[in-house]
Amino acid sequence: MVLKFSINEMDSRGVVNLVGDLDIEATEMINDDLIPCLLEFQIIQLNFEHVPFVDSSGMGLLLNIVKRLKEQNIEVTISDVKEEVYEVFDLLQIPEIVGEETFV
Amino acid sequence: MFRREMLFETKTDYANKTLEREIKLARNIQMELLNGSQPTLEKGQVTGYSLPARLIGGDYYDFHVLPNGKLRIIIGDVMGKGIPAAMLMILTRGAFRSAAESTQGPSETLTAMNKALYSDLRTLNSFVTVLCADWNPETNVLSYASAGHNLPLVVKSNQDIEEVPKVKGVMLGGLPQNTYKENFVQLLDEQLVFFYTDGITEAQNSDGDMFQTERLRKVLQQNYAEAVEDIENSVIESLDNFTENVQQKDDITMVLLKVHQGQTKVSSYNSPVLN
Repeated sequence: MVLKFSINEMDSRGVVNLVGDLDIEATEMINDDLIPCLLEFQIIQLNFEHVPFVDSSGMGLLLNIVKRLKEQNIEVTISDVKEEVYEVFDLLQIPEIVGEETFV
Repeated sequence: MFRREMLFETKTDYANKTLEREIKLARNIQMELLNGSQPTLEKGQVTGYSLPARLIGGDYYDFHVLPNGKLRIIIGDVMGKGIPAAMLMILTRGAFRSAAESTQGPSETLTAMNKALYSDLRTLNSFVTVLCADWNPETNVLSYASAGHNLPLVVKSNQDIEEVPKVKGVMLGGLPQNTYKENFVQLLDEQLVFFYTDGITEAQNSDGDMFQTERLRKVLQQNYAEAVEDIENSVIESLDNFTENVQQKDDITMVLLKVHQGQTKVSSYNSPVLN
């Protein structure tokens, strides 16, 4: 399923609800649409509850989101990751790259 | 007005044709580099195949025969697609070829590649997953290290197939100064090692269903007794039948290594002369 997103705003905090597969097809949407929207917040929570699948390109996209936000001193967390998706994150040592504390 | 429009169309056509020609040339370069000469193994077989989802792709595989007789295999997947991924694939190839000459094993190779590529990958906001393996034809031991890449399958018989023991590693471009762990598996005669990129297991049909590892395992088991080229063709055929020519999102790449009984010796196509 093609990835879609919505953002719930609460003051300076944004909760990003991702719905669909985070894969190679999401590249333009993440880089051109999502990331620019997030730069106005101070805190971002990426909700992965409705992301059933992430491929290797999706991993790279996620790392880029976190990197871009942290460069702007925006606090970012990743929440509600499905167990099977987290297994792949763990295999690729994503928590070590972005910091264990990013996953809540 | 008419003349100006004609002129515009001509310029646009020219630009499009030039672009099309250059993309085709880039594809030819990539396919030549990817599908170059493959080492001939005495009493063993190795083959590789890569099919880009678009005109050109970001998957990569390569072989390198080491002076000590081992065969070094690498398979990788550059994040992204199309021309940008293809450019990074060429960078990755250069890093592997350079590292393969000067490193002792797969973990050292990945460490050296990450060191060489990290800065460029961070500048370009990209990552590369790769798996590197050394096969020793004397001992039949396959040692390997992974930079975020899926592990190969070992087909032991038409009934028995399993993934090699786990080893974790950060994708290239993930962390600077990263080092990689290594694991190994003892191969037996007639066993097949299947290296692949996730474009195979994640190939989709028109219903959006994925090919998945189970279908891959089944086709490998069914064709286990065949030559590597025939097994490769069976996988391609099985993928074609499953996807029914639906345009794929990701590149598809595989490398097959089959060990045969008896003394096995690597015949090199590019191994350096040792005095």
